[in-house]
Amino acid sequence: MKIAVTVCFVPDTASVIDIVDGALDRSRLNLVMNPFDEYALEEAVRVRERHGEGSVTVFSAAPASSKELLRKVLARGADGAVLVPVEDTIDPWQTAMLLSQAVSVFYGDVLPDLVFSGKKSTDFQSEHVPVMLAELLGIASVSGVIALKETAEGFDAEREIENGIECSSVKLPVLFSVEKGLNTPRNASIRAVMDARKKPIEIFPAGLVGKPRVRLTGLEAVVRKKQCRFAGDEKELLGVLANELHLS
Amino acid sequence: MSGILVFLEQRDGMVRQASIDLWNRLQEQAAAGAEPQPLSGIIAGPASTVGIETMLSGSGTIYHVSSDLLCLYQPESYTQTLAELFERSGCSSLVFADTALSRDLAPRLSVRLGASLLSGCSGPSAIGAGTCMRPVYAASVVASFAAEAERRIYTISSQGPAALPRKEGAIVIVPVDDLSCEPSRPSAFASRIAMTSTKPDVSEANIIVAGGRGLGSADAFAMLDELAGLLGGAVGASRAVVDEGWRPHSEQIGQTGKTVAPRLYLACGISGTVQHLAGTGGAVMLVAINSDRHAPIFDVADFGIVGDVHTIIPGLIKEVREFLKKK
Ligand SMILES: Cc1cc2nc3c(=O)[nH]c(=O)nc-3n(C[C@H](O)[C@H](O)[C@H](O)COP(=O)(O)OP(=O)(O)OC[C@H]3O[C@@H](n4cnc5c(N)ncnc54)[C@H](O)[C@@H]3O)c2cc1C
Ligand SMILES: Nc1ncnc2c1ncn2[C@@H]1O[C@H](COP(=O)(O)O)[C@@H](O)[C@H]1O
Repeated sequence: MKIAVTVCFVPDTASVIDIVDGALDRSRLNLVMNPFDEYALEEAVRVRERHGEGSVTVFSAAPASSKELLRKVLARGADGAVLVPVEDTIDPWQTAMLLSQAVSVFYGDVLPDLVFSGKKSTDFQSEHVPVMLAELLGIASVSGVIALKETAEGFDAEREIENGIECSSVKLPVLFSVEKGLNTPRNASIRAVMDARKKPIEIFPAGLVGKPRVRLTGLEAVVRKKQCRFAGDEKELLGVLANELHLS
Repeated sequence: MSGILVFLEQRDGMVRQASIDLWNRLQEQAAAGAEPQPLSGIIAGPASTVGIETMLSGSGTIYHVSSDLLCLYQPESYTQTLAELFERSGCSSLVFADTALSRDLAPRLSVRLGASLLSGCSGPSAIGAGTCMRPVYAASVVASFAAEAERRIYTISSQGPAALPRKEGAIVIVPVDDLSCEPSRPSAFASRIAMTSTKPDVSEANIIVAGGRGLGSADAFAMLDELAGLLGGAVGASRAVVDEGWRPHSEQIGQTGKTVAPRLYLACGISGTVQHLAGTGGAVMLVAINSDRHAPIFDVADFGIVGDVHTIIPGLIKEVREFLKKK
């Protein structure tokens, strides 16, 4: 079982997101593995463990300085990683192009049996890269899976939709983008951290991917602070609600 | 280069409210604009179009592909069908309401059509301009994006119902039956939808009553269910509550949950961390109930009441009941 996992790095949630002159101030950012990718990697490792054989390889398009971050990812059970060094100005389509090239080069003529991605990145939350990658690789995909069951043919998958759960079946090779709650990711043991130092991180120089299709043109901090008015009791609170909700 | 093609999503043979609202908002905008782009629509799958012109404002042609293969969301069949109809229509923009279905379908189509994808746009005004604004970085920042390709795909966040349909013009339904909807590439096959609730989904609700760890137990959510029921809204939850197993993940709001845009967000026993507020930025009015006068939620609330949820919420339910009885 050959399994690819895509991983990106995002500011941890405690980071101060500061916009200076329309650009992000990176000086105080602490980057971590995208939380959704933790579920993706955990699922990949579980599948490999269940099969008792196979390999889990992490693919990331990230600045060349991201090797240490990748070591932490490897400590969560991946066998190796492929880093495509990029600047952070690429758009999701270019990212998907680079990842598909890296996957094709790494596995040669055969596709991996499974690709796991996070449902979304917590920085830009675009939810574009996984499906675009599946489309470029020419494989089936299911986004935002909350349950997976291996079958003789492939997998039965469930994903959340408005007011319900969509159940589908899919054959390999397939890409799943993974929702929070699919599993509970393990913590890396000290041993695993030590082992991760010996695992390979290959650098694949970025190929040509054409011009971006979407350009970021501005960032502006949101002022969320409001002047809260306090109600004295439930009656007063209802007054406010009734008024706003046009109940009256 | 003009023309906007709107995807009218159906479920169980009914066009979904989110799509109807989007269509009407686009018509509203077209009516206000100097050079309105003509609107047309697509319905994929068997659906009842009886009376649809009473729900959709303005004029336009709606292409209806009623193949049974499109009953449920089949990624490849949908992609092929929409790509083909987009080519035929000669439109330059394809627009979706932001839903679970479009979040999967739009990126596929953008690759297939070589189109720029602008998703989660805060409003339909983006469409003429080829630009889009949406929250990023846990909604602490708003980013602007510009489309670089000539073809554009947009998904537009919910903004609630639009004004009532205007009656001028005509909506014409054109059946399309010369398309093969058989998937010609590998695809997942959706076999059924298991409904989990008949209440509005948090991602689409106009009123959300959300509970946090301050409720103290799973049982205490019964009163939120009751209040949400009375107000015609949905129950939401903080991550703390979901991780405790008190509520399902489908109700989680925030950075690793859903982003919501209700008219009223009532936060009960929720402290108001950045990760939670990442999902609530679209709320028109935020009301907080918290026993701690200094809880950060009050910094972002329009209205608040300091007190114990176990007395305030039953009190509020009583008031709402009396109010509704008097009406
Ligand atoms: C990567 C990451 C992603 C995350 N994503 C999300 C997310 O998507 N959504 C999310 O919500 N969180 C998320 N979190 C978690 C977040 O940091 C907080 O832990 C969580 O939001 C806290 O939930 P809470 O407000 O219910 O609980 P608490 O922070 O414990 O707050 C409970 C509040 O209830 C009040 N209270 C207590 N008793 C009463 C009472 N009897 N009556 C009235 N008020 C009372 C208290 O004063 C307090 O303000 C994420 C965290 C991380 C690290
Ligand atoms: N630069 C990247 N390198 C590797 N994987 C990525 C990258 N960007 C996004 N992904 C993957 O795509 C998922 C969704 O990201 P996004 O489409 O940006 O919301 C992430 O959880 C990752 O698994």
